[in-house]
Amino acid sequence: MQVNLSGRLSDRFFDPNTAGGVSQRQVAISVSAAALTEEQAPLNLCLVLDHSGSMGGKPLDTVKRAACALVDQLSYRDRLSVVSFDHKAKVILENQTVDRPESIKERIQALRSGGGTSIDEGMKLALQELSKVKSGVVSQAFILTDGENEHGNNDRCLQFAQLAAEYGITLHTLGFGDEWNQNVLEKIADAGNGAMSHIQTPEQAIAEFSTLLRRVQSVTLTNAFLELELPEYVRLAELKPIAQVSPDAIELPLQIHPSSALVTVRLGDLMTTERVIVINLYIGNQIFDQLKTSKANQVNILTAQVRYDLPAQAQEALLTSPIQIEATLDQDFKPAIDPEVQMHIFALAKYRQTQLAETKLHQGDRLGAATMLQSAAKTALQMGDERAATVLHTNATRLQAGNDLNEAERKQTRMVSKTVLQVSPPS
Amino acid sequence: MVTCPSCSHQNPDHATHCEACYIPLPVAAPAAIAEVSPEAKTQEMTSCPNCKAEVIVGASFCGNCGLDLRSVPHISLELPQSIAPQLIAPDSIPPLPPVAAQIGALPEPEINLAENNKPPEPITASGKNKTQLQQISAHLFHVQTESKIEIPPSLLIVHIGKPNNLIPPDIDLSGFPDSDIVSRVHGDIRNEGDAYYFEDTGSSNGTYINNVPLPPGNRHRLRAGDRIAMGKGDKVSFIFQTTS
Repeated sequence: MQVNLSGRLSDRFFDPNTAGGVSQRQVAISVSAAALTEEQAPLNLCLVLDHSGSMGGKPLDTVKRAACALVDQLSYRDRLSVVSFDHKAKVILENQTVDRPESIKERIQALRSGGGTSIDEGMKLALQELSKVKSGVVSQAFILTDGENEHGNNDRCLQFAQLAAEYGITLHTLGFGDEWNQNVLEKIADAGNGAMSHIQTPEQAIAEFSTLLRRVQSVTLTNAFLELELPEYVRLAELKPIAQVSPDAIELPLQIHPSSALVTVRLGDLMTTERVIVINLYIGNQIFDQLKTSKANQVNILTAQVRYDLPAQAQEALLTSPIQIEATLDQDFKPAIDPEVQMHIFALAKYRQTQLAETKLHQGDRLGAATMLQSAAKTALQMGDERAATVLHTNATRLQAGNDLNEAERKQTRMVSKTVLQVSPPS
Repeated sequence: MVTCPSCSHQNPDHATHCEACYIPLPVAAPAAIAEVSPEAKTQEMTSCPNCKAEVIVGASFCGNCGLDLRSVPHISLELPQSIAPQLIAPDSIPPLPPVAAQIGALPEPEINLAENNKPPEPITASGKNKTQLQQISAHLFHVQTESKIEIPPSLLIVHIGKPNNLIPPDIDLSGFPDSDIVSRVHGDIRNEGDAYYFEDTGSSNGTYINNVPLPPGNRHRLRAGDRIAMGKGDKVSFIFQTTS
């Protein structure tokens, strides 16, 4: 068993007397890679570094130091490439194994600041470098920038991110300082199935780099897809029915195959850290017909399966055994809300409410945004995420007082909405 | 279509949580009420003494002409009852047509009615009208002892708590296990027409509806199957149930 796959229903009991005969339910599916004793596939890592003029001085120095520290943590089997960009991009280090770390560090140290910012050029070269090695590796890119994509095209960034996902390359983004565009970086990271982090001060760079590195080093399975099969009495919600909520909130785009009633969602890499996906469903009353025919009061709502690659053994498109999510039908309906699923729903609600607040803010509806942020703060409190609640509440109060949010606060808002910061660090 | 009160997203029918922002949506017609109301319409109908339009027995106003039926409750309510023969042929009985005419024309029908139309009045005072009201009876199912507590249908506000000097509780929880976490003035169930609401009236340990805390002052519209827990820890919990 290389993948742990399990699922829970927000409330497994159904009321036969529901108005209109349709009940709404959420399913939380958790997927993680089993901790394997066998050897891990080598990393195929590309650092995409912004060396535009604004990075000059301390920021670039810290980034260089962080990159060098990262080189030290790689094993001799791992592969590394480095791409730097200003308004153009160039390959600093061609894709190679890290057997001579000192010469690699010299190349990184030679970076000088100057020029504009064009993220898509950097992404393009990174994809070229990473795709030189296709199988048997875990391909990852870290994209670090400190500014708006002023000389590049944001749509092109997104296209490259989608292309990367198709190649099985995961993109992580790091925003440096407070001037970067959280929308673009979030879209790249989401489409590239990676994480987004925020380096607020140069000092945090080394810590953020190694957090990300730890994450990618724990990747054992890549190119994973979640495949869902719905019986005819179950349908997905109309708006964004599938989203990841843990470790961070990401809306997951889905592909529906009209012929086979199969829904596929790209998950990207699987780590030992659990990933939780929430699916919003409507279940029709025909479910009770099943009760009559099958006699048992357990009825299938959803069948889930994960397809993945195992790069360490160069195996592709492996399948897990399918799991079934079942509902219990009972004439005496008593709701039994699953507290764990409830927490996941809160996490998604917090993210969605913050997103709506940002949209309202963008439209100039400051009071509406404040109200939305307040409800997001309330949701955060309900799930016990006090740090997020504090940030969201403070920002809501600022908006109500008639002030605007500065760039740093906007980034903070986005980050707390996306993740849950654990009170006790995982051991 | 259910429009989200928070973010205005248009959700499909039957949604209970907004698809966009995941807040719980208000439910327009819970099953129990939806089933009862058509019955109520078909059951006890009578006609308005002014415009002869169909009105439900026990209605306060005529839906057609707006006549205050409470000022003439006796005629409309007693029509299908035992004295119906007297009233069904109004032409043959001298006192009635003037009454009907006066009701339509005069703003002060009450006095005239009492003076002119003495025979029907004593019969009407029999107080049968209360039993005719079509109402869903609701009760609380106490989870820990598996016992039922009826919610008195005659009260508009049902106080829940333990004996005290200020507001005597209509539902006294002092005898239940773990009742020490229930406040003396804990909450109210309000009956408004066909809907029941729960409100926490400032209890010390709070109230949880379906495991979610209910802030004091907020009303929660009760649906069949809702779990009401008094205080923390789910120690004194009720399931709200309706029977139609």
